[in-house]
Amino acid sequence: MTVSNDKSRSGLTRRDFIAATAAAGAIAVAGRAGFALGQDAALKVGFISPRTGPLGGFGQTDGYVLDLARKALAGGFQAGGKTYSVEIIDQDTQSDPSRAGQLAKDLINNQGIDLMLAVSTPETINPVADACEAAGVPCLSTVMPWEAWYFGRGAKPGEPSPFKWTYHFGFGVETFHQTYISQWSKIETNKKVGVMYPNDADGNAIRANLAPLLAKDGYTIVDPGAYETGTTDFSSQIALFKAEGVEIFNSFPIPPDFAAFWRQAAQQGLTKQIKIAQVAKTGLFPSDIEALGDLGKNIASAAYWHKAFPYKSTLTGVGGQDLADGYEAAEGKQWTQQLGASLSLLDAGFEALKAASDAKDKAAVAKAISTLNVTTVAGKVDFTSGPVPNVANGPIIGTQWVPSKGGKWKFDYVVTENVTDPNVQPEATLVPYNS
Amino acid sequence: MNAGLDFRVERWTLASRSAVAGVVAIALALIAGPFVLGPGAMDRLTILFVYVILAAMWNALAGYAGLVSVGQQVFLGLGAYFTIRLADWGLNPFVSMVAAAAIVGIIAVPLSFPMLRLKNGEFAIGMWVLAELAHLLVNLDQLVKGETGTSLISLNAFDAPLRRATIYWLALAAMVALLGALFVLLRSRVGAAIQAIRDNEEAAASVGVRVLTTKRMIFVFAAFGAAMAGALWLATALTFQPKAYFSVNWTAYMIFMVLVGGIGTFEGAILGAVLFFLIETWFGAAGVWYLIGLGATALLFALVLPKGIWGAIESRTGLRLLPVGYRLDIRSLLTKKNGTT
Repeated sequence: MTVSNDKSRSGLTRRDFIAATAAAGAIAVAGRAGFALGQDAALKVGFISPRTGPLGGFGQTDGYVLDLARKALAGGFQAGGKTYSVEIIDQDTQSDPSRAGQLAKDLINNQGIDLMLAVSTPETINPVADACEAAGVPCLSTVMPWEAWYFGRGAKPGEPSPFKWTYHFGFGVETFHQTYISQWSKIETNKKVGVMYPNDADGNAIRANLAPLLAKDGYTIVDPGAYETGTTDFSSQIALFKAEGVEIFNSFPIPPDFAAFWRQAAQQGLTKQIKIAQVAKTGLFPSDIEALGDLGKNIASAAYWHKAFPYKSTLTGVGGQDLADGYEAAEGKQWTQQLGASLSLLDAGFEALKAASDAKDKAAVAKAISTLNVTTVAGKVDFTSGPVPNVANGPIIGTQWVPSKGGKWKFDYVVTENVTDPNVQPEATLVPYNS
Repeated sequence: MNAGLDFRVERWTLASRSAVAGVVAIALALIAGPFVLGPGAMDRLTILFVYVILAAMWNALAGYAGLVSVGQQVFLGLGAYFTIRLADWGLNPFVSMVAAAAIVGIIAVPLSFPMLRLKNGEFAIGMWVLAELAHLLVNLDQLVKGETGTSLISLNAFDAPLRRATIYWLALAAMVALLGALFVLLRSRVGAAIQAIRDNEEAAASVGVRVLTTKRMIFVFAAFGAAMAGALWLATALTFQPKAYFSVNWTAYMIFMVLVGGIGTFEGAILGAVLFFLIETWFGAAGVWYLIGLGATALLFALVLPKGIWGAIESRTGLRLLPVGYRLDIRSLLTKKNGTT
C-alpha cells in the first residue's frame, strides 16, 4: 500500500508539472494580449539583425543607429493625425537562421509587433520574412541581393508574387552588373575575370545572372565551379587562374573563406597579376580588410551606403557625413556602410507607418509599403516601379580600400564610380591592386 | 496471489495504471490546445512535441538497442528536405510531411545494411559521416540553392490560425503515435530481444535472438521518427537552410535530453525533453553560455548520475510509470519470512 501511494504521488507531481507549464504559457500569452489591447496609442516595431557571431560585422553599428532612432521618437510619432508612443524591440540572431525565425515568431506572437524590420544577409532576413508572411505581419528588409530574397524564398519568374506581407529594398544582380562594368572600365586590363562563386543563394544567383551579362560586355569569365563554404584548400582554383592569366578577380564569399583564399593566392603568386580585386559580401567593413593585413590594400568593393551619399534621414534628420562622424565620436570605431543601411530601413519603415491609413492596421501598413516612394539616408526606396512585385531596387556604388592619408584609421574607403546613383560624387580614381 | 510460490511477476501496478491514465488524459486535453491557447503557446508546445519525439527516438536507438548515433540529424534533415521537394512538385504540404517521413523510413532500410555492420564508436562516427554526405547531396538540388536554402511557401495558402492548429495537431498526433508504437514495440517479444542485445549481443544471439533484424527494426523506426520531427520543425519554421537542419547540434540536444532524463528508460526521455524545453525557453537568449551550460550539465550527469534523473528515481523507489519490463514482487515472501522468525 505504501508503495502504491508513493507511486501515485509521483505520478501526480509529473502531471501537475506539465499542466502547470502549459497553463503558465497560456496565462503569459493571454496576459500579454490583454496588455496590447489596452494601449491603442502605442506602436511596436521589431528590429532583427545579426549582432554577434560570424555575421556580427553587419550588426556592429546597430546599437548606435537604434539609439538615434529612439531619440528621434522619444517625443512620440505622428501618423494619420494621431500621436503614438513607439517601442522598438531589437533582437540579435547570433548569426543563426533558426534563431532568427524563432525570434521573429516570439516578436509576432508574444510581443504583438505592428511592423517587422530585418536587416543584413539571407541568413537573417529570409527566416524572419517567412515567419512574417506566415503570420500576416508586415515586414520590410534590406541588405541582401533581392533575387536571393524573392526567388530564394520560392517565387517563380513570370508568375505573380506569392508574397502579401513581406517587402525588400536594395541592390540586385543588375545593379552589380552596371557597377562592375563602370568600375572595371577605369583600368586597362585583358578583360579576363577569374570568379569564385560559392554554392549558396548569392553565389548561384550571381553565377546564373551576372556572369552571362559580363560575358556579353566582352569579359571572359574563368569559373572553376562552385565551392562549398568552409573550403580550406584553393590550390586548384588558383592554378587555373594563373594558367588563364586573369587580371580581374571577382568573388562573393563569406569573409573567412575570402581570407583563406586570398592568403593562398598571395603565397602562390596569383595576386601579383591581379589588377582589380573586386569582392562583395566580404570587404564591406574595415575589420574584414584589416584582418588581411597588407593584402587588404587596394581591394575594390561596392557599397550600398557611403558617407558621401548626399541624403538626409527622414526619421532622424541626420546626413551621411554627420552619421559617420557621430558614430566615430560615440563609439571610437571607424564608420561602416551598415550605418546608413540600417538607418534607411528605419527611415522607410516609419515612412510606411506614416503613410498607412491606420498604423495599427497590419493590412493598411502592408499596403502602404507596397506603394512607398521615399528618399531615405541611403537614397531612393521606390516600390512603385520595382523589378518584381514586393521589391524596390537600390544603388550599389563602386569603392576601394586605400591606405589612409593621415587619418586615424588604417584604410580609407573611397568612392570610385557612381553609375547607379549619380548624386553620389566619386572621390578618387581606381588604383590597380598590384600597383 | 500464487499459493505455492510466495512471489509474483507483475507488469502493471496501481501507479503505472494511474500514470498511463494520466498520460492519456493529458494527451486528450492537449487536443483542445488550439481552442484555448494563444498562437505563441501553441508554437512553443509544437516545439516541445518535436523535442519529445527526438528524445524518444534517440533513446530507442541508444538506450534500448545500444546504437549510439551522433548522426541522427541526417534523418531530421532528409525529412525536412523531402517535405520541401514533394511540396515543390505540387503535393499538399501536410501530406508531403508524412510522405517525406515515410520516404526517409524506406531509405533507412538499405542504409541500415552497411551501418549496422559497424560497432560502437565506428557506428557513431559512421552516422555522422552519413549526415555530412546527405547534407552535401541535398545542397546539389537546384531547389535548395546551396546553403541559403529555400522556404515552404505552399503552406502560406492556408490561413494562419488553421495552419497553426493543423501543425499543432499533426505534431501531437505524431508524438502520441510514435510514443505509443515504441511502448507497444518494447513490450512485445521484440522489446525483450532489443534489451537482450543491448545487455550482451553475443549472449542474445546464442539464445536465438535475431540480432540484426531486431536492430534494423529499431534503426528504421528511429529514422522515421526523426524524419517526422524534421518535417514538423520545417512546418513551424518554414525556412529550410541545410546547415540548420543537418547540424550536429540536433544530436547534441538529443543526447542531452536522454542523458539528463534517463537513458534506457521510457519516462526519462520524455522528462529530458521537457527539461530541455524549459531550459531553452529560459536561458536560450544567453547564446554561447547557454551552449556551454548545456554541455557542462550533460557532462555532469554522465559522470555523477549516468542513468539520468529518471534512472535515479527508478533505482531508488522502484517506480515505473510506463512499464515496458516486468517486476518481481516478493513482498509477501518477506512478510512470511518475518512472520516465521
